[in-house]
Amino acid sequence: MKLPKMVGLNPKRKEKLLTALIVLPPLLSVFFFFYCFSGWNFFISLTDWEGFLPTQNLVGLRNYASLFHDPLFWTSLQNNLLLIVVFVPGVIVIGLFLAILLDRKVRGEGVFRTIYLLPFALSFVVTAALWAWMYSPRVGTINVILEKVGLGFLRANWITDPNIVLYCIIAALIWQFAGYSAIIFLAGIRSIPVSQIRAAQVDGARTFTLYRRIVLPQLRPSFVTAFIIFMCFALKAFDFIWVLNRGGPGYSSHILGIAMYKETFGFDRFAYGASYATVILMLSLVIVVPFLWRVYRKDRP
Amino acid sequence: MSLLKPNRWLLYALLIFFAFLALLPLWSCVVTALKSSKEVILSTPVTPPMYPTLGPLAQALEYLKRPLLNSLVLVGAGTIVSSFFGSILGYVFSKRKIRGCGVGFVLIVLCLYIPPQVQLIPMVRVMSNLGLHGNLGALVLLYMVFGIPMCAFIFKTLYDEIPDSYTNAAKVDGAGTWTIYRRIILPLSVIPFVVASLLQVTIIWNDYIWGLVLTTGMDNLPVTVAMANLKGSFVAEWNLQMSGALWIAVPTLVIFILLGKYIIRGYSGK
Repeated sequence: MKLPKMVGLNPKRKEKLLTALIVLPPLLSVFFFFYCFSGWNFFISLTDWEGFLPTQNLVGLRNYASLFHDPLFWTSLQNNLLLIVVFVPGVIVIGLFLAILLDRKVRGEGVFRTIYLLPFALSFVVTAALWAWMYSPRVGTINVILEKVGLGFLRANWITDPNIVLYCIIAALIWQFAGYSAIIFLAGIRSIPVSQIRAAQVDGARTFTLYRRIVLPQLRPSFVTAFIIFMCFALKAFDFIWVLNRGGPGYSSHILGIAMYKETFGFDRFAYGASYATVILMLSLVIVVPFLWRVYRKDRP
Repeated sequence: MSLLKPNRWLLYALLIFFAFLALLPLWSCVVTALKSSKEVILSTPVTPPMYPTLGPLAQALEYLKRPLLNSLVLVGAGTIVSSFFGSILGYVFSKRKIRGCGVGFVLIVLCLYIPPQVQLIPMVRVMSNLGLHGNLGALVLLYMVFGIPMCAFIFKTLYDEIPDSYTNAAKVDGAGTWTIYRRIILPLSVIPFVVASLLQVTIIWNDYIWGLVLTTGMDNLPVTVAMANLKGSFVAEWNLQMSGALWIAVPTLVIFILLGKYIIRGYSGK
């Protein structure tokens, strides 16, 4: 009966082996698909690889140099910054506002919350189709409604007008994400101890003061969460705009994600596309890493 | 109290106004999907159909039949595999604090924020080397792995709510890691599994970019890619487009309406 022990399979070791066998395959595949790929993408950006040709020569940072001399890169970056600067605060403010409304002991709160969240259930492909119809210049919903309520002078060409297309896209994206933003803030508001709010009310604080002095300062974590999520979304955004109008008209809604896809799969400039992707990754990391650092540093033993 | 009343009125007016904004594009989609091409031109985009027809819905279904099936396969495979592994990883991160666990978990969370753009080119390369490029199989493999970080995160957060004393008591009794998982954690995992799998179902169903890059041919397309093609080829036929959009939208809308509270649990914790 001593034999199994001699082989070295005591229960403790066996369990460790089993744990490794169960945990390692998913961990390694995630590591491979996310981290190895990120590194590999960076490596590709240092080559002159085009399409499926086998030749690949290291060219150092040449792709990044061309990137900085490429007017299209600056246009995409500029559009992307505009998207960030308008979309992120917009969706946060509207989400917060909806959360405050929902928190006012509303009858049918669940129904309203569900309705606000519905656009978030949809694929960008679906919402792009819906908003193409909303914004359609001749027969589209918005122009027809404006006409009917006597505001016909506000009719516009919306997504076919290069001057306002990006704002139209931002409005649609805020529509899609406002409910999500609202549930982040609602969860934040609900986690504030009721006693604090009661105390302020006893002291005679008006609703407005109550929110400004007691609620908003304690929503800091919700603000940070929402900021990170929507920033990262705005940096990698692609689907909605691609399906809606391919970054057009012209280059008026051309953002980094669109540029990356077009360079890579439209023009077969894989290495150049990879350098776009690296820029997107770096911008995302600049935002996320400090956040994760702060959140998880204290968890470490 | 009479002073409060106008306030309450304003509150409900605002709530209803925002509900109206949230629903308007959906309403416009539904009524247009039920109109004939002629009625689309003759009526406004918000008036209900005078002569409702199922023609466009049937035509769109004919076009999207196979892609709908493909997406169903992807959702099934991706959800089952990634929530299974997510549950195991979540358990290890939450209750078995092995060395390196903290760093491992942060690296898993970071995956949620890595933009897909950096994975596109290597993925295309790997899938062509595996002979899967263009194939539905490429997406099956991909979604099995891509859901793991989010599932692991959700399971870890929800398992953290189970008191450590439960598992410690079993440990004292000599139960091993996997006995504890099977006997204690798994029976308490119904809600975590519901939350994680609902999230995966909607994410995989709605995903577009990976299908766009990795699949070709109607037999392999997920429904979102087929829909984007439909949108491109029937530009002026709004009733057909809205019908296609509706077929894709209905499953996730139903999930959000009936099981929204689980979705909210998954998203508000992040």
